[in-house]
Amino acid sequence: MRRLFYPVREAWANMRTNRTTTVVAILTTAFTLACVGIFLLLYVNLRSAAAWLQEDIKIIVYLDDRTTREGAQELESKLKADRMVATALFISKEQALGEFRAQFPSDSHLLEGLGENPLPASFVVTLAPSFRSPDAVTRWAERARTMTGVAKVDYNQEWIDALAGLIRYIELAAIGVGVILSAAAVTIIGNTIRLALFSRREEIEILRLIGATRAFIQIPYFLEGAVLGVFGSALSLGILKFGFELFRQQVGAAGRFQGIENMVSFFPLSICLAFVLVGMGLGFAGSVVSLRRFGEGRA
Amino acid sequence: MDTMIQLIHVSKYYNRRAALSDVTLEIEKGEFVLLMGPSGAGKSTLLHLLIGEEQPDEGQIFVQGKNVSKLKQSEVPYLRRKVGSVFQDFRLLPKKSVFENVALPLIVQGASATDIRRKVTEALRAVGLELKKDQPPNSLSTGERQRVCIARAIVNGPIVLLADEPTGNLDPERTAEIIELFKLINARGTTVIVATHDPLVMTQVNRRVVTLAQGVMVSEPRLGERVGV
Repeated sequence: MRRLFYPVREAWANMRTNRTTTVVAILTTAFTLACVGIFLLLYVNLRSAAAWLQEDIKIIVYLDDRTTREGAQELESKLKADRMVATALFISKEQALGEFRAQFPSDSHLLEGLGENPLPASFVVTLAPSFRSPDAVTRWAERARTMTGVAKVDYNQEWIDALAGLIRYIELAAIGVGVILSAAAVTIIGNTIRLALFSRREEIEILRLIGATRAFIQIPYFLEGAVLGVFGSALSLGILKFGFELFRQQVGAAGRFQGIENMVSFFPLSICLAFVLVGMGLGFAGSVVSLRRFGEGRA
Repeated sequence: MDTMIQLIHVSKYYNRRAALSDVTLEIEKGEFVLLMGPSGAGKSTLLHLLIGEEQPDEGQIFVQGKNVSKLKQSEVPYLRRKVGSVFQDFRLLPKKSVFENVALPLIVQGASATDIRRKVTEALRAVGLELKKDQPPNSLSTGERQRVCIARAIVNGPIVLLADEPTGNLDPERTAEIIELFKLINARGTTVIVATHDPLVMTQVNRRVVTLAQGVMVSEPRLGERVGV
């Protein structure tokens, strides 16, 4: 029991002895991880915005004016039988005209001179949730164009493509920034551990000479690194949450982007826990790097 | 008698200079050996070889039948638990109490709290420092600090006790006390090897003497030959 307790007590003693270094390491790790967190927060929110927008994607399948009633019914059956299609709502020419008049009452006179109703009948198609990715939507639209009786297929492709592109860029930036700043966190914690190793080199030497194993000598430093990582990442979450709430408040008060404050959200608990675990891992990695460089723990 | 330590044609070089050259030596269980010689004679190197701190460039070293020159790095700590070491500069942890310093080898081995309390108290009693167990080492005299170092070296009942210039920092009176302590430890069955350049120690010990000069053993020409035992 004492043997298990010893590394914990030594790690705690290390941190207390080098208090300033420990606090500086936690703060710098926190700010470094907060920078990674900003990108992650942006990415998570854009992903959920994209998912929300994709839920709302409607594909309009316009029918050829020459299509008969039977042809339209056949197409409807075909669409409803398609496993990629969740709903297919038929809009007749008359309904389309009615909707146009309802939506643009001041422009309805434009259609009066044309005599016959120029608006085509259509199906408003919503794809099943698992087929709402930009690629799947494009593929399905291509296929729908080849169906009998279809004149044109329309959907907000540019908007979907732009959003997908933006998410990809944010994803790449988050990975790039994440890797660079994680390496910085490892270095910061690693240097703190190296200072601790240096200040306790005599003790390490004594432990070696009295028969301490490599693991016994190294465990307090691994613990210290992991604890620094946990505190650093937890603090960074606090900084992010504070910044996030401030942002939401400011956006809400500005009035210009009203509604956005309710659309954005902070990390769910699972991501918060994963963030802290990653911090712990980075701290542990910092200790490993330092112990290797310092060459301590050798018999 | 059983052989405790055996060196067979051992050589050790630093930058092509021989710190030990073709040393062959046998020390039996329960022996008290003085390793004499001036500074740079190779005494410390020999002790370092015995605890696996260094590896010989030539020859073989056996401690209780185990070839320590072929030990894996992971096996070295277990050798050091059987061979206690006493240093000239004591090597005590200033921020820990006398009790905690002496308890360290037992903690390292995973001894229970009860065992630690019992064995540390016994070791401190043996060196006459039982009443100073809660003090920091820096509050003790140099002689007392050396006693703490000895208590730490014997607390886990080592089979061999190595001491490198243990009286180097002590006056003649304290030196005599420390030598008496080593004799007591030896009388309990522990093999004791004391490296020193101090002729005063030799007169006080009156046991087997192995003399080294420039890495060469000069007083023990043949394996198994014992001097002054």
